[in-house]
Amino acid sequence: MPPALANPLTQLVLAAALGVAGVYLLLPKPRVRWVAGGVALVIAAAAVFGVFLFERYGQPVLSVNGDKTNVVGSVLFWLFAAGAVGFGCVLVTQRNPARGAIAFAFVILSTCGLFLLLAAPFLMAATVIIYAGAIIVTFLFVLMLSHVKGPSDENDRTREPLLGSLAGFGFVGLMLFTLHASSPPMALAKDAGPQYPLPAPPLTADDRQLLDRALGHCEEAIQATTWEEFRNHAIQANGFLHAFFTAADRLPVEDRLKATAADPRVAAFLEKHESLRSSSGMPLLSLLGNPTNETEARAAVKALRDELYVYRGNGRLPARNVANLGFLLYSEHLLAVEMAGTLLLVATVGAVAIARRKEVGQ
Amino acid sequence: MISLWHFLGVGAILFGLGLVGFLTRRNLITMFLSAEMMLQGVVINLLAFGSHHGSLGGQAFGLFIVTVAACEAGLALALFLMLYKRGRSLDSGDWQTVREVGVPPAVDTVPLPAPPPDDHPTLPVPGRLPEQAEVRFQEVTRA
Repeated sequence: MPPALANPLTQLVLAAALGVAGVYLLLPKPRVRWVAGGVALVIAAAAVFGVFLFERYGQPVLSVNGDKTNVVGSVLFWLFAAGAVGFGCVLVTQRNPARGAIAFAFVILSTCGLFLLLAAPFLMAATVIIYAGAIIVTFLFVLMLSHVKGPSDENDRTREPLLGSLAGFGFVGLMLFTLHASSPPMALAKDAGPQYPLPAPPLTADDRQLLDRALGHCEEAIQATTWEEFRNHAIQANGFLHAFFTAADRLPVEDRLKATAADPRVAAFLEKHESLRSSSGMPLLSLLGNPTNETEARAAVKALRDELYVYRGNGRLPARNVANLGFLLYSEHLLAVEMAGTLLLVATVGAVAIARRKEVGQ
Repeated sequence: MISLWHFLGVGAILFGLGLVGFLTRRNLITMFLSAEMMLQGVVINLLAFGSHHGSLGGQAFGLFIVTVAACEAGLALALFLMLYKRGRSLDSGDWQTVREVGVPPAVDTVPLPAPPPDDHPTLPVPGRLPEQAEVRFQEVTRA
């Protein structure tokens, strides 16, 4: 590769320019439409975007330890990404709207593959059913109802094709440039290993609040200069942890987790849970009873803080996606779920009211 | 171990393509599908950040986006049907009459190409029915 092309900025500008030219040539117009050249330019643009991502950030999927490339995952990522972008181009530039709808179904399937890579199997299933199953089929019905023969204004003309593609690809270029400018340097981004090897605990908003307050008191205790201040904060942190462990819904969650302890990640989480429970509570309180063992107490509070960070912290997504998603939806987002249901009902009523309206004057 | 940046890049490209489609195309249904593609790019972003931070919140937001998209699809379908009943066309340019005051109308100057001639397949001239078939038919009707 020539050195000028190795610069990420050059790559982005080149890719955006190629994309604008290709999509401009491909968009349906009565005069300037050169399909072969447009396809070649769009493929070149997608390749340059891919080279930018690869050169800048390395392979998309690494092994669990983060030291090697996960070949299967990476191949799947590039495949699904290329599918989504390619069929997206077909949707935008296709003259026949029915074929465009089919291309959109393939865009959905490709993005669903990306959802699977991102550990979202439930959302994948929901998207396939709702989009590819329901939306596309109903829209194909409308397209068949409104079928036009021969060239027509809506299918063979576009509004400002050059300005439109400039806006779209300018947006993409700026977006990726912002990504490039705001992400860590190349070496760091490529070697980013797993920083959080724990599964995410199924914590509710209340749990998180308790843990956050305990953490805050731990931090203040560590900052404290006098023994009295230190002791006060440490006792408060211990109190919040006690409240966390004795919360009414804690036991069912623990039981549910223990049922799946065969999963090594769940086992690791349970281990952390137990160790946090044992390092807080009475042992800490007895240490705090006597000012002579201040160094030990401070070390214990520091260790507790570190454990808390890891415990509360940003673990990997849990393996039982549907169960945990349901838990989250019906605990933290209950009101939003109800409102989404109401929105669906209102939309149904509105759609029926619009579609059944009698023509005025008939 | 999933890299965050690749997914953000793909989401941005999907969003940009949808933007191009929404701005330039004139068929209402293609415009709608382009808008849905932009939503897909956003959902990929949410899921990538959720996976990066090990939180299921991204997936919850993705579900809500899918819900809103379903509502939008139902309403858009009803509206398109009604517009088609009135104007007999899905061209968004037909509804220029509701544009803003002071904006000149967009006029198409280049004529559309002539429609291609119908090329129905021509069938060969059918021959006479064989004698035997007629005889059989009579036998069957007699019985």
